[in-house]
Amino acid sequence: MQQFFKFILNVLGVLLLTMLLLDLLYTAVYHQSNDRNKISYLYQSEKKEYDVVFLGSSRVNNHFVPQLFNDQGYKTFNYGITRSRLEESALMLKLMVERNFSIDTLILQVDLNINTNDHSEAIRSLFMPYWHQSGVIRTHYREIPEYKAIQYVPFYRYMHYDSRIGFREMYASLVHKETNALFYDGFYPLLQDQRPMVAADLSKYYPKRNKAYEEIKAICQQNNIHLLAVTTPMCKSTVNRDYFNHIQKVYPEVYRFEDAVTDDKYFSTCGHLNKAGAIEYTKAIFNAFFKPKTKS
Amino acid sequence: MFFNSFHFAVFLPLVFLMYWFVGQKSKINQNYILILASYYFYACWDWRFLFLLVFSTLLDYFSALQIEKSQTPKQKKLWLWLCISINLGFLGIFKYYNFFAQSFAALFQSVGWQVSPILLDVVLPVGISFYTFHGLSYIIDIYYGRIKSEKNFVDYSLFVSYFPLLVAGPIERATHLLPQLKKRRKFNFEKAKEGVYQIIWGLVKKVVIADTCAQYANAIFDQYHSMNSLSLVLGAVYFAFQIYGDFSGYSDIALGTSKLFGIDLLRNFNYPYFSRDIAEFWRRWHISLTTWFRDYLYIPLGGSKGSKWMKIRNTFAIFLVSGFWHGASWTFIAWGLINALYFIPLLLLNKNRNNLDTVALSFNLASVKTFFNILLTFAITCLAWIFFRAKTIQDAFSYIERMVTDSRFVSQYMSIERYNYELWPLLVIFIVAEWSCRTQTEPISGRYSWVKMSLCLAAILALGVFSDYKEFIYFQF
Repeated sequence: MQQFFKFILNVLGVLLLTMLLLDLLYTAVYHQSNDRNKISYLYQSEKKEYDVVFLGSSRVNNHFVPQLFNDQGYKTFNYGITRSRLEESALMLKLMVERNFSIDTLILQVDLNINTNDHSEAIRSLFMPYWHQSGVIRTHYREIPEYKAIQYVPFYRYMHYDSRIGFREMYASLVHKETNALFYDGFYPLLQDQRPMVAADLSKYYPKRNKAYEEIKAICQQNNIHLLAVTTPMCKSTVNRDYFNHIQKVYPEVYRFEDAVTDDKYFSTCGHLNKAGAIEYTKAIFNAFFKPKTKS
Repeated sequence: MFFNSFHFAVFLPLVFLMYWFVGQKSKINQNYILILASYYFYACWDWRFLFLLVFSTLLDYFSALQIEKSQTPKQKKLWLWLCISINLGFLGIFKYYNFFAQSFAALFQSVGWQVSPILLDVVLPVGISFYTFHGLSYIIDIYYGRIKSEKNFVDYSLFVSYFPLLVAGPIERATHLLPQLKKRRKFNFEKAKEGVYQIIWGLVKKVVIADTCAQYANAIFDQYHSMNSLSLVLGAVYFAFQIYGDFSGYSDIALGTSKLFGIDLLRNFNYPYFSRDIAEFWRRWHISLTTWFRDYLYIPLGGSKGSKWMKIRNTFAIFLVSGFWHGASWTFIAWGLINALYFIPLLLLNKNRNNLDTVALSFNLASVKTFFNILLTFAITCLAWIFFRAKTIQDAFSYIERMVTDSRFVSQYMSIERYNYELWPLLVIFIVAEWSCRTQTEPISGRYSWVKMSLCLAAILALGVFSDYKEFIYFQF
C-alpha cells in the first residue's frame, strides 16, 4: 500500500507539474499575441489616445464605422464585441484606464444589454489569460464563484474556458492566425441580409438598473471621459418597441437613436444593420454630437 | 455523479481509503463498505430509484432461492418466468411503454381510427437496462443449474449494485463476479497501478476523443440539411469515434476503478475498429452485452446449430433485440437490423468465425487486403451509426441521401465556428496509439510509462472538453 501511495503522489506531482507548465506556456503565448481579438489588442496596448471610443455588443461591433469619424479628423476605435454584455464593457473601460488610455468621449450602447445584469461567458474567457498580470481583471472578478480556483489552481482558467482560450485558440495565437476582429478599426460590417426578415421580439425585455452601467458612469466621471449612452436601431417590425421608452424612464440620460435608421433595406437582421445601415447610423450619431475637425 | 466529475474524484479516494483501511480485516466489511458506497453513488442521480434497485435485488435474490428449492420443473419454471416477467415489466414500463403506446396510436391513426394514447411522464431510471440484465443472467443460470444460488444477501446485493458497473455496465455474470465477492480482497500494487493507468486512458477517451468529436458530430447531425458530402461523411466518422471513446472510455474507467478494489470486471471492448469483418467487430464491441445475448438468446434459440435459415433467423433475433435494448426508438431497431443484414454474407459463406486472432499488418499483399477489410468494416459500421445517432429514421435516410448526392467534398465552416476537417490530426494520433497497444488493455503501462502517462495527463488538460460537459451516452440506456 505504501508503494501505491508513493505512486499516487508521483502521479499527482506529474499532474501538478503538467498544469504549471501548460499554464506558463499558454500564458506566454497569449502575451505575445495582440491580433486575435479586441481584448488581446487592448491588453497589449498602452497610452493610446482616442477622441472617441465605442463600447458595447454586436450592436456596436456591426454599427459604428470609425472610418467616418477618422475622416473628419477624429481618432476612434470600435471596441464593441459581439456577445459582450455591459459587464464586459465595464471591464474593458477599466483596462483602458489601467493601460493609461486617453479618451475624450465614450459612446456606449445602452439598449438590449440594459435588460440584464448577467455576463457573457464567451467574452469573460478572453480576459482570463491576463488574470495574474492585471489587478483590474482580478478585482473585477473577485465575486465570481471560480475566483479561488482561477487564482490558485494552475491552468484551471484554460480548462474552465476551454472553448474560447483552450488549445485551439492558443495555437491560433501562437501562429498569429489572422482574424477580421481588428479590420476597419474594429468595425465588422454585415454583408448579408436575412430575407424575409424575422421580427425581433422584445416583449420579455424590461430595462433594469444596471450595475455595470453605473460602474461605467462612475469611471467616466472619475477620468473625465465624456459618456454618450445611446440606443441603436431595431427594425420597424420589432415587437414591443415601447421597451425603449422604458429605458429612458430608468436612465433619462440615454440618447434615443433606435429610429435613426428605419428602412428595412438597411438591416441585415432585425437587430443588426448591414454595412449601408451602419454608415447611415454612424453619420446620424456624428451629426448629432460632433463637428468635423478637418475637411474630408 | 459521473466518472469524469469532481464529485467522483473526491468520492473514489474516500471509498478507497475506507475499503483498504477500515474494511480490510474481512470480506464482510469490504462488501458492506462497497455496498454503502454503491447505494450512495446511485442515490446521487435520484434517490427514489434506489427503491427500484433494492426491489429488483430482492426479487432476484428470493426468486433464485425459490427456484432452487422448487420440487418440480413446473414450479421452477413458474418462479423463473415470474421473476423474468416482473423484471422485464419494470423495464417495459419505464423504457418502452410510451414507445409502444405511441406506435400503436400511429398505427391506428394510419387506418383512420383516432386514438389518444395515455403516456407516462416518467424518467428512465439510470442503469435499469444494465442491472435488469445483470439479475436476469443470474436467475437464468440458477434455473439451468449452472451456478448455486447466493445465500448471502449482502454479497448478492453487491453483485447487482457494485458502483463501477451499476449505471452502464459491463454486464457482469454471477459466475465471474460473485466468486470474487465471496473472499477477502488483498491489495495488489500492480493491479491497482494498472487500474490507475486504465482510468487515465479512459478519461483520455472520454474528455479528449469523445467529447471533442461530439461537438463536431452534433453540429453536423443537427444541421445536416446544410452540410456538404464531406461534412456528412466526417459527421458519421466523428460520431463513430464519439460513441467508441465515450463508451469504451466509460468501461475503462469502470474496470480501472474496480481494479483499485481488487476486483476484475469483464472486458467490454477490444479495439473494435480494427476488426476485419462485422462478426469480428461484434466480438470486440460491447462484449458483455453481445455475449449476454449469445448465451441467453442466441444459443437457446438454437444458435449456430441447424440450417442456414435458422442461423440467419437467430442472428436477426439477437440484433433486433439488441437494437431495442438500446432504446425505445425505431432508429435503434433499424441499427440492429442493418447490423444483422451485414452478417448475412458471412453466415452464408460460413466466414463468421474467420478472424479470431489479433490483427497484424506488414509490408505484403495480404496486409493490403487486411487493411482494406478493416477500412470496409469501419465504413459500414459508420453507415449503421448514422441510424443510431439520427433523431428519426427519416432523418437517417435524408442524411445518407444528402451524403451521396451532394457531391461537394470541400472544407466547410460550421455553426460551432470550426472547420469540418479540423479533428483529423487528433484522430490519427488516437488511432496510432490504439493500434500500438492492441494486444494490451491500455497504452500507458510498459516501457516509458511515466512519459506516456504525462502525455495522457497533458492531453486531458489541454485537449479535453470541460466547458461543454457531456454525459456518457450509455447512461440513457
